[in-house]
Amino acid sequence: MKTRHVDCGRLLATFTACLVAASALAAAPVFNETLSPSQISIGESAELRIKSSGADTQRPKLPVVPGLEFRVVEQLQGVELIHGATLATMTTVIRVTPQIAGTFVIPEISSTAQPLILRVNPASFGGSSIMRPGIAGETPTGDIRMMEDDSAFVRVLADRREVYVGETVPIAIELGVRAGAVSSLNGLPTLAGSDLTLNDLSRQPDRKETVVNGEPFLLLTWHTLIAPVKPGDFPLIVEIPITIQLSTKPRREALLEEQLGDPFMQRRFGKTVRKNIKAVSPALDLTVGALPLEGRPPEFSGAVGSFQITSDISSGTAAAGDPLTLKMHVTGSGNFDRVDSAMLVHVEHWKSYPPTSSFKSSDALGFKGEKTFEQPVIASAAGPQVLPALSFTYFDPDARRYETVRTSPLSVVISASAADAAPTASSATSGTSTGLRPDRSTPGVFANSLVPLYLRPSFLAIESLLTAVLAGAWFRQRAAGPAGRGALLRERGLPRSMRLALTRMEEAARTGDGVRFFALARRALQETLAVRWQVSADQITSAEVDVRLDRDGDGLEIRRLFARADEVAYAGEAIRSEELTRWTEFVRRQAVAGLS
Amino acid sequence: MKARCVLTALGLVLWGCAGGAQPDAQPPPGGWSSAALYNLGNAYVRAGKPGLAVLNYERARLLAPDDPDVEANLILLRRSLALPADSGSRMSRAVGVLSPTLAAWFGVVGWALIAAALLSGRSPTLPQWVRRTAGIAGAVLIGFTVASGAALWPKLHEAIVIAGAAPVRVSPAPLGDALFTLKEAEAVTIAGEHEGFVLVRTAAGRTGWVWHADLVPVVPRR
Repeated sequence: MKTRHVDCGRLLATFTACLVAASALAAAPVFNETLSPSQISIGESAELRIKSSGADTQRPKLPVVPGLEFRVVEQLQGVELIHGATLATMTTVIRVTPQIAGTFVIPEISSTAQPLILRVNPASFGGSSIMRPGIAGETPTGDIRMMEDDSAFVRVLADRREVYVGETVPIAIELGVRAGAVSSLNGLPTLAGSDLTLNDLSRQPDRKETVVNGEPFLLLTWHTLIAPVKPGDFPLIVEIPITIQLSTKPRREALLEEQLGDPFMQRRFGKTVRKNIKAVSPALDLTVGALPLEGRPPEFSGAVGSFQITSDISSGTAAAGDPLTLKMHVTGSGNFDRVDSAMLVHVEHWKSYPPTSSFKSSDALGFKGEKTFEQPVIASAAGPQVLPALSFTYFDPDARRYETVRTSPLSVVISASAADAAPTASSATSGTSTGLRPDRSTPGVFANSLVPLYLRPSFLAIESLLTAVLAGAWFRQRAAGPAGRGALLRERGLPRSMRLALTRMEEAARTGDGVRFFALARRALQETLAVRWQVSADQITSAEVDVRLDRDGDGLEIRRLFARADEVAYAGEAIRSEELTRWTEFVRRQAVAGLS
Repeated sequence: MKARCVLTALGLVLWGCAGGAQPDAQPPPGGWSSAALYNLGNAYVRAGKPGLAVLNYERARLLAPDDPDVEANLILLRRSLALPADSGSRMSRAVGVLSPTLAAWFGVVGWALIAAALLSGRSPTLPQWVRRTAGIAGAVLIGFTVASGAALWPKLHEAIVIAGAAPVRVSPAPLGDALFTLKEAEAVTIAGEHEGFVLVRTAAGRTGWVWHADLVPVVPRR
């Protein structure tokens, strides 16, 4: 009986303890905080989960940490059974977005929780590790054109829209990337089109955080120069290659994501892909004008901008023959690479040498600074000397005209010196050099071109045409065929007396001398037939021909030629050139045939 | 008929030699004269403008390559500026003694000799050795003309720096630092042009872009 009483007492005590414990639990809520991940980069978010259990499951108060933004994403309610007791739980999911890099301590929500540590690294763009946090502010959105997915924007800022060829214009290129939406920068900004040139962009861009349309953005800014190369109206468009993260979730989840939040939820569900794109800025219309020809001074070297000049001399006193250094300082802003000056060229009692120049930039772009020209000068005569004023001409794009600025003349006292009698240098540029051969007194023959005759187009065209004609004639001659060439070769085999007789016949035919022609023709035939019949040429008479030759074919023609020769010799009639040509060919043919 | 063709061909050659050539883009009034260019070069030397002096000497040398005065003043000026002398190749020195105009006429005569040798093949009265000799002589004369042209070709694409110091850039844009600087009166070879900049190659083989106003081509461009 005692044992049963004891057991009942133990059960009662246990029940009582459970009730006490349960009531204690119900009275004081328990918080459990987790942070995942504990290390992120700028542009990413971490997830803070606060789980409260107990009777009083209120929404926890958000911590306040400078540099971190807390935003409740969702709240999940549930029930847990602990030691037989039913406890209500509520889990609050909070998105933690860093505004700056650093190590942050998130204070505990209650005494039962532990403080959490969040490490935030600089952004991981393009391998850049330098992060200079700027002052977060609101960026005006008037001229910003977001990309389609609102992940980034590019814009170009320029002070001036009307510029001139050769002028250098400072511009700022801004790339704004939304936190978590852009994963990397894949290259430097480039210009679309070839009408403008962009200066070096190798320097790191300025970085700062800003807010655009209520969203945190990282803003990268490049400061550089552009230079138009030809006149006209050109759009200034900048492209920047970046990698963005796109969601691949179903439409339903994507809508939920749009309602709940952005990259944080995307990573939570882990459904994103990366895509390389080019972020393109809106066109900034530039009007590029040509430098006016009217009013352009001959000494203008192409400098465009705003400049001032001063000058000084290395010493106010010197001995004749001692070198002095004359300096001209050109300060201001513009295209300093086109700032040039010959300084003093020819000054009486002075020898001057070509100046050298150096440039010291006062900004990172080389747009502002000072260019110094140094010119060695030597006084050749003693006494008070004056170096004349120096001048520099540039084009002022604001005033839209050429400006010439001048310095004041410089006075130098030159004392006599032994060196004064002996020139220190025999420079060809001094204007007093000797050794030149004397000038010509007559101008000589004039030509209308410096290009050699044989390289002038018209000459080459005519020579080419004639060469083509020559080649055509030569090929036509070759195309006469083996028979033609054979006849030619056989003709070359004729005795010299025969070839001479044929040539003279041709001459007589050209002059229309029929008597001489037929005499030569008959003689040529006599010699040909004499060879054929093995007799003397003088024995070949008309009677001999009548006896030996047929009365048709070539025999008939030979008889006719002999008879015609007699007729012409006695009658002296005029012969037509066609007949003479025909007889020439006949005699030539007979001569060639006689060879065979 | 044949005589008429020959006369026509000869007339065309003479027209091309004498009057067919187009004048340069900006010839001075009356044209170019080697003596006038030489005097101009001397004047620029006295005025302290060595770049323009060398330019005019080079132009005078194009018209009169065998002029000893032009050669002497050019050598003197380049030596005083510490610029390398324009030695030229052995072939250019060999053919340089002949005026380009004379070399052109050599080419015309050579062409005529070759034409006569080829077309007289039908004539039975002309001995073979005469035709061969004429052909060889014609080829030699034309070869001389071609050699003269080859020797002068680089000079026709040369420019002289007239600015005190001409910065040479890596790209045809007035931006960034210069690769190197050309001295005044230095001769460079023009390899291209783009938007006011000229691609040049120096005697040392370095290339880069120079602003067009810093140099002047020896032969004016059209």
